[in-house]
Amino acid sequence: MNFLYPDMLILILAIGVLAVDLILPQDEESNAPFLMSWLGLASIAVILITQTPPPGDYMVGFGTYTINGISTIMKLLFTLACLFSILLSKSYFTAGGNLRGKMNRHSEFMALMIFCTFGMYTVASAGDMISLFVGIELSTIPLYILSSFYKDDRSSTEAAIKYIVMGSVSTAIGLFGFSFIYGAVGYVGFEDITNFVVNNPRDPFIWIGFILILSSLGFKLGLAPFHMWAPDVYQGAPTPVTTFLSVGSKSVAVTALMLLIYGPLSAIHQETNTLLIVLACLSMVIGNLGAMRQKELRRFMAYSSIAQAGYILVGFLGKGEFAQSSIIFYLFVFMFTNVCTFFIFSIIGQKRTESFSSLRGLSKEKPMLAALLMMCMFSLAGIPPFAGFTGKFILFASAAKEGYYWMVLVGALNSTVSLYYYLLIIKEAYINKPDENQPPLHLNTLQKINLSILGTGVVLIGLIPIFYNRVSELVNLS
Amino acid sequence: MTLSNCLILACMLFFVGIYGVMTRRNLIGVLMSVELMLNAANINFIAFAYFKAADSVAGSIFVIMIISVAACEMAVGLAIIVTMYRKHKEMDISRLGGLQDE
Repeated sequence: MNFLYPDMLILILAIGVLAVDLILPQDEESNAPFLMSWLGLASIAVILITQTPPPGDYMVGFGTYTINGISTIMKLLFTLACLFSILLSKSYFTAGGNLRGKMNRHSEFMALMIFCTFGMYTVASAGDMISLFVGIELSTIPLYILSSFYKDDRSSTEAAIKYIVMGSVSTAIGLFGFSFIYGAVGYVGFEDITNFVVNNPRDPFIWIGFILILSSLGFKLGLAPFHMWAPDVYQGAPTPVTTFLSVGSKSVAVTALMLLIYGPLSAIHQETNTLLIVLACLSMVIGNLGAMRQKELRRFMAYSSIAQAGYILVGFLGKGEFAQSSIIFYLFVFMFTNVCTFFIFSIIGQKRTESFSSLRGLSKEKPMLAALLMMCMFSLAGIPPFAGFTGKFILFASAAKEGYYWMVLVGALNSTVSLYYYLLIIKEAYINKPDENQPPLHLNTLQKINLSILGTGVVLIGLIPIFYNRVSELVNLS
Repeated sequence: MTLSNCLILACMLFFVGIYGVMTRRNLIGVLMSVELMLNAANINFIAFAYFKAADSVAGSIFVIMIISVAACEMAVGLAIIVTMYRKHKEMDISRLGGLQDE
């Protein structure tokens, strides 16, 4: 029973944060929801770090909800992503916290974020197609609302509309896929599907279903032919939401894909790889080409994350526990690096537009911030000794183990290309002359503490083997 | 009526939905087309549950889940469209060009 505490606590926390707003007197400046949500999330993260689930699967509710090593580690990732996004959002609720204006109703904002995290938990623990579907939906519907949180800002509403139209189309496509798999197997549980696929690897319904589900998850993951929504939504949504979207939503899609490919569909892994290779190559190339001509920081990050999704797919070519732990480890690296980058962008966005030109002269004005930005960019490009290098190395090693050497070559070439546009940001921060008219930047204590935690993560996760060992230990448990 | 009849109907509905999403200019129309696509999946589930599946209860439960989740999704979608209409007096999807690559 006590393995279910994190899941229960997060649901109670979400309802509690909503209730605080009703109980306490109406006060927009009140700190209570913020304190409650970050303290709650931090304690759930501590529970998840200390908890080691029993070997095998711990089933609840006739196998609809499973708790194992992978789900525990993924829950930790989702909790941390939500925690940092909430910490990032703090300054957006104070006047002058952002150029685009002040957001209101912070208890609802935080409660929605936590509900979304609960949906992600459900995906990580899903034991059949129904809970997988409900989890995916619960983790995206709050994001539609969150991305329209600047009600007066036209671009925010526009982003939300684009997101909800694309998102619900992808949901419908995925459901159509689920229905074919249900039609072929006759059951919804993953174990029954696994048995069926082992015996009938060439069943047409399974393949139609898988292709439809893959395109649906491709939408959520931002893979190349389905990536059209990503740049617009990343640019239009408020920065805390973009952070959560880029890290959380992406990890959810990766988790769901991992659940399917290493679970029910593991018998046809060799065949599914062909599709994954096409998607991975397209994402890397389109993401990299798109990122080169961007001038807006969040839009730039959108294309960068499309390319990163391509690298993650390369890891899917590997088999078994090694591939799974490499993917999960890369997601952690990606989380720390991306959140850190968005934190820096949010500080820049306090008084300036979030564009490349606002970074000019950052090294003179705030040397530490510029150094941190450089670290993040090097980590995203995969330069040693930062975490991104270790993460990418293990990902590519998992593909190489199965003999996909040319895919590793494509991945490595693409990361070299990506270095060009990451260096463009560093060039703006270090070489270009500062603009005298730009308003000065200010960091408060909360931002300083968070940036130092995230910066330490970006450096240490790749260097100290404890983190990777813990991930692979938990993955081997299940 | 056989299973293949139902599947053909579901496929037709699905493609009508996709066509609607791609050609409709009005946002409400787009949402209605999405609803058509979701209902195509529902018909598929019910058809499989009725004609073929060993566990037919699971299919029916799935359909109820889809209907309730689709309701939530549409509620959120309509709320966002209402916000858009109130602020900008616009419901035309082809006018949404504020966010684009230069």
